[in-house]
Amino acid sequence: MKKLSWNFWGLLPAYLVMSLLMVLPLLIIFYVSFMTSDAYGGYKAIFSLQSYSQILYTADWDDNLVLNFQYLKIIARTLFLSGATAVICLLVSFPVAYYISRQSNNMKTLLLYLVTLPFWVSMVVRVYAWVLILSNDGVLESSLRFFGLVGDIDSLLYNNAAMMVGMVYTYIPLMILPIYASIEKLDTRLIEAASDLYSSRMNTLRRIILPLCKPGIVAGFILVLVPCLGTVLEPMLLGGGKTMMLGNLIQNQFGVARNWSFGASLTVLLLCIVLFFLMFQAHRASKLRELS
Amino acid sequence: MKYITKVSLLALSISLTTGANAENNQLNVYTWAESIDPVLIENFQKETGIEITLDSYTSNEDLLAKLKSGSSDYDVVFPSQHFVKIMIQEGLLKNIDAKNMTAFKQVDDRWKNKWWDKSSEYSIPFVYGTAGYTVNRDKYKGPANSWKEFFEPTGAAAGNVAVFSTPDEIIPAAQLYLDIDFCTEKRTDMKKVYQLLKKQKEYVAVYSSDNISSRISSGEVVMHNWWDGDSMRARKNNNAPIEYAQPKEGLVGWLDSMVVPRNSRNSDNAKTFINWMSEKDNATIEYNYYAHSSAVAIDESKAIHKKENSPEIFPTAFIKFTRACSPAAQKLVDKVWTKLLQ
Repeated sequence: MKKLSWNFWGLLPAYLVMSLLMVLPLLIIFYVSFMTSDAYGGYKAIFSLQSYSQILYTADWDDNLVLNFQYLKIIARTLFLSGATAVICLLVSFPVAYYISRQSNNMKTLLLYLVTLPFWVSMVVRVYAWVLILSNDGVLESSLRFFGLVGDIDSLLYNNAAMMVGMVYTYIPLMILPIYASIEKLDTRLIEAASDLYSSRMNTLRRIILPLCKPGIVAGFILVLVPCLGTVLEPMLLGGGKTMMLGNLIQNQFGVARNWSFGASLTVLLLCIVLFFLMFQAHRASKLRELS
Repeated sequence: MKYITKVSLLALSISLTTGANAENNQLNVYTWAESIDPVLIENFQKETGIEITLDSYTSNEDLLAKLKSGSSDYDVVFPSQHFVKIMIQEGLLKNIDAKNMTAFKQVDDRWKNKWWDKSSEYSIPFVYGTAGYTVNRDKYKGPANSWKEFFEPTGAAAGNVAVFSTPDEIIPAAQLYLDIDFCTEKRTDMKKVYQLLKKQKEYVAVYSSDNISSRISSGEVVMHNWWDGDSMRARKNNNAPIEYAQPKEGLVGWLDSMVVPRNSRNSDNAKTFINWMSEKDNATIEYNYYAHSSAVAIDESKAIHKKENSPEIFPTAFIKFTRACSPAAQKLVDKVWTKLLQ
């Protein structure tokens, strides 16, 4: 009993901060999403499900409600681009993490430090650096031209590819670190045993290394996917603001469109998607624990 | 867990703004990006002992959303005329009895008691200008005297046009081009606006209201929506090979005023600041820096920008000021914009 109350009092500040900064605002968002939007931003305390029905049904030019997939398209695009980013991060991260894990201790520390280094710089600055790299006559284009590799090319900036480059760059450390952690834990004797038994390298990778690293891969995947789903900066600065992602749509509803209830309902939707992935992972993790 | 927090906080930060503690010698100014001469801020702090915290925005909508959320801590903000009207209407501004402030005596008569603040109680008009577009003359040799080139770009411009990231000034521009009233409630008219913008989108490189200067000066895009004085500053200060277009259909006019939000905690300091900024010498320094037309009196002998060397701010084109749209008209504007960027 005494132990419990110690825990309780010790954690109280954390609970307070969490409920004040996280639960309460979420409740406000939830509340606003069921209210009626005011014409100039803000909301009226009149219950309405309109903001949720707007996700599927929007008024056409004659004010008739019609089934409209424009928002679902944005949601699908967000899921697709975030998923693709996570896959690319995975493909790049695995060899990197494996390489780091095979270095001497000093080298490991240095390399891991370099991986986390970008996190010390503001995200806006990091994304903006990509604007400078990819822009017309930017670092990349002018060096390619200098080596005669390209002639006159169209802008590398302001398209989905540029956006993905930015997203991969921003979130890749979140993939490298958990994969590295799981490779570190890998028992090298198992690899040796596999080769003793005449397993090919590919086979060892497929049947020994990858299954053992699965927890790290899943964790990294979720860690990259989740912030990608809410990303705002990359579509704006690198994507050129032409194709929206869910984060931009939400921002737009609170700013330009002055439709706070709709913005709030989209936020709730985004939260549900994020929670879905997190719960999936929690479920997996608990299953793994049971197994071991 | 950390990342759940991170993601939710990102979403929530839109609705929540942090408040700082009010101090007597403090002043929180929220204004257009790069609009106030840093020298003026320094001088004001030295002369009055009031510490200024400066924040900036790039669209009236951002400002409105901040004020509307109620938790912002700003003491002086600079909305454009139609947003002054909306903010008064929504009860977001403090009645500062503007007509009896010393600053009001400096205001040019033609900007007093206008439709957005009929009895001049809330706002001191400060700067005005136009929104149009700028072309990069190194990359684009064609004409720049109509909105046609901007909305229906051809040649070097096609694919290299940049448009403001909010509908506030671009939809009125489209309306000027199509000869449609601002804030129209006619759906058929707004459908035409949508079709024009939709067609233009094929040739648009980016929708952005940030960092316009580097984008157009470097030739990364060849046409960019821009404001008169900003375009002039880039041409004069950075020798950018650019030209501000004078479309024959007209330019979109704006006038920014100094106002005090309702929940300002340093409104006396705010009034001191407004009066100080409107003093002739300071207004002149600001005019020379910001390079937009001044709504308050300036010392003409010290003014750098004159009719002969500053065509941007002495436009030959006709100017039409944006209005505060009715909710019905605004809904159509939002519909056009969301459909366009979906």
